[in-house]
Amino acid sequence: MTHPLLILIWLGPLVGAMLLWTFGPQLRTLAGPIASALVGVSFLAAVSEWSSATLIDGAMQGVREPLFAWLPQFAFGLQWDRISLVWTLIITGVGFLIHVYSIGYMSGERAFARFFAYLNFFVFAMLTLVLSDNVVGLLVGWGLVGLASYLLIGYYIERPSAVAASRKAFVINVVGDVGILFAVFVIVAKVGAIGYGDVFGKLAAFTPAELFIVCLALFIGAAAKSAQVPLHTWLPDAMEGPTPVSALIHAATMVTAGVYLIARFAPLWSASSDARMLAGSIGALTALTGAILGCAQWDIKRILAYSTMSQIGYMIMGVGVGAYDAGILHFLTHAFFKAQLFLGAGIIIHNLGNEQDVRKMGGLRKQMPFAFSAMLIGVCAICGVPGFSGFFSKDAVLTETLAHGHPVMWLVGVITAGLTAYYMSRMLYVTFFGAYRGNIDPSELGMRHPELAGTAASPDHHPEADDHGHAHAPAWLMSGPVALLMIPSTLIGWLAFGGDASPWSRYFAPVFPADVPVAGTPPDWVTSALVLALIVAGAGVAYLRYGNARALVDAIPRLRTEAVRMPAVLVNAFYFDSAIDALFVKPAQAVGRWFGSVVDPHVIDAGVREASISANWLGHLFRSFETGLVRAYALTIAFGVACFAIYYVVIGVAR
Amino acid sequence: MNAPVEAYIALSSILFFIGIVGVIARRNPLIQLMSVELLFNSANLALVTFARTWGNNVGHIFAFLVITVAAAEAAIGLAIVAIVFRKTTFVDVDEVATLKG
Repeated sequence: MTHPLLILIWLGPLVGAMLLWTFGPQLRTLAGPIASALVGVSFLAAVSEWSSATLIDGAMQGVREPLFAWLPQFAFGLQWDRISLVWTLIITGVGFLIHVYSIGYMSGERAFARFFAYLNFFVFAMLTLVLSDNVVGLLVGWGLVGLASYLLIGYYIERPSAVAASRKAFVINVVGDVGILFAVFVIVAKVGAIGYGDVFGKLAAFTPAELFIVCLALFIGAAAKSAQVPLHTWLPDAMEGPTPVSALIHAATMVTAGVYLIARFAPLWSASSDARMLAGSIGALTALTGAILGCAQWDIKRILAYSTMSQIGYMIMGVGVGAYDAGILHFLTHAFFKAQLFLGAGIIIHNLGNEQDVRKMGGLRKQMPFAFSAMLIGVCAICGVPGFSGFFSKDAVLTETLAHGHPVMWLVGVITAGLTAYYMSRMLYVTFFGAYRGNIDPSELGMRHPELAGTAASPDHHPEADDHGHAHAPAWLMSGPVALLMIPSTLIGWLAFGGDASPWSRYFAPVFPADVPVAGTPPDWVTSALVLALIVAGAGVAYLRYGNARALVDAIPRLRTEAVRMPAVLVNAFYFDSAIDALFVKPAQAVGRWFGSVVDPHVIDAGVREASISANWLGHLFRSFETGLVRAYALTIAFGVACFAIYYVVIGVAR
Repeated sequence: MNAPVEAYIALSSILFFIGIVGVIARRNPLIQLMSVELLFNSANLALVTFARTWGNNVGHIFAFLVITVAAAEAAIGLAIVAIVFRKTTFVDVDEVATLKG
């Protein structure tokens, strides 16, 4: 065991999960601090193990901690290199802050320990995913994070919508798991080994078509986990989970596993330009789709969910076109500012008694100045206001996309940046400016809309909602993590300041193949200037529609008009759900019904029935032999003996 | 011991057929048990005859085995007959057919 700290990083959260699963009811409110402490230990171990990866320069492999070998080529172990380092620090660091936040947010919940057991289990699963040094371990982690996500989305088990959302997320994630499984099959069949080093060392074993198939199968997994079009529909529904879960799993870490996957398999992707084209295009499409749909949401968490989807689209576009370091940088900054946005939204939701509809908010700037500053910094970061982290990472992704020769994706990304500024500013204005609308009749605000039937907070949202009053945890538990997150979400982008000489580029230089810019690329400042102009335009439109004095005065009729006149195509989220329903769910149900009405009664049941009837008939046949007459039995035996005798006599004669 | 082998085998066959007919044709369980003993002993006679003819002792050993089995059979068979007789006072095995299928 050359790197015991790696084992500690990996297994610490698992110990917590098992402890809380076993002794949860006894530990009561201690469950939260214990879970947080174990993730914190994991984070500290990761920080102290930092150097061993960064000291080995030029090594893609980093250090390995072998665990056990099933067969010589099928060795399992942990890998600690520059990619897994970034992810581990985010998972355990942001994870720790969100654990602490959850102690406040979840206080008074009946299943307090169960929540933290799941959360710890998620951290363990995610670490399995990013620390594994082989494709099978990756697949195991991939499946386990899907399970953790399922458990946490469906945390409010008494709420049918939460259960339905968790089931949907799980099913779509399993579609992705099957893709990865298929890729693993092909890899093992071609290479005969599962370790990353072995696989990447034998790229010559793949024909270009096989490489494309492996990348495609991997991308199905990435698309399902990272909410890429058309497998994104589970992510907005996943907001049924508690807000800290949305922050940790459905914003900061798990949904970026697809980015990790592509970055991890960079040698494969670099060798297949078709696959890169596919991933980049889907990423760009997702970025745009998420941004457009984000403009049409009223639920604060769904706005953030669509913005997450859109930002992951950027990341996938970045790693897809081959700008791995830019894509990972956007993951890094996004993990901070999106976790901060979600946790800020959580503070609002918590203080308003689980109200999530932004139309029922308004004017919260004075009530909750801290939440306002958190959201403001988060919005600045996600929009890409210069100086904030998102500015650097989004610009890096866009300029690199252009430099790799994908002007269409670049254009889509630039337009998306403007839309992002619009819908995030819209959320900010509607939530924090004007007058408080929580006591306005919902129909005045146009809340009878079908879209809102399932998303608007209902009185039975949290059964324990009313109990919060007496069980309030200290406020710093929730504001402290948010305050800590403000620092990196403002500053972390400066890591990438300075182009190729920046710390970030030098950090990843030995890992990924060097960028080969296409000739005739416009200078980077063109992208930056264009994005900035669009950000100003987007925020300006939002200001005119929601922020200026006149809009604030008659906010109520304006919001009602907007809600009522919202185009059906946006309300139904481009009919993705209906299309999946019509293409897959309905046919599957039809097949199921056919089996139920035809195959089951007429083949399976009939087979069982016929078997029993023939057994009965055979019994009737054989019972006639059982006369009960001893002498008849004796005669039968004598007859049998005679047959034997004759047989042997005949055989003897024949010889 | 000068009689030919055929004579022994003929005697054994005659005893065997008497036994068979006794088991099949008679209804009295005691007579049937005695007929079964005849079957055993006809087989024993054939075994010993062959053993002596071929000079192989396996036949003798089998004869002892058959005697042992016959003793056990007689004990069990008589016990069953005694018990069933106490219950039903039968004289005809055909009337004991409660296990008829």
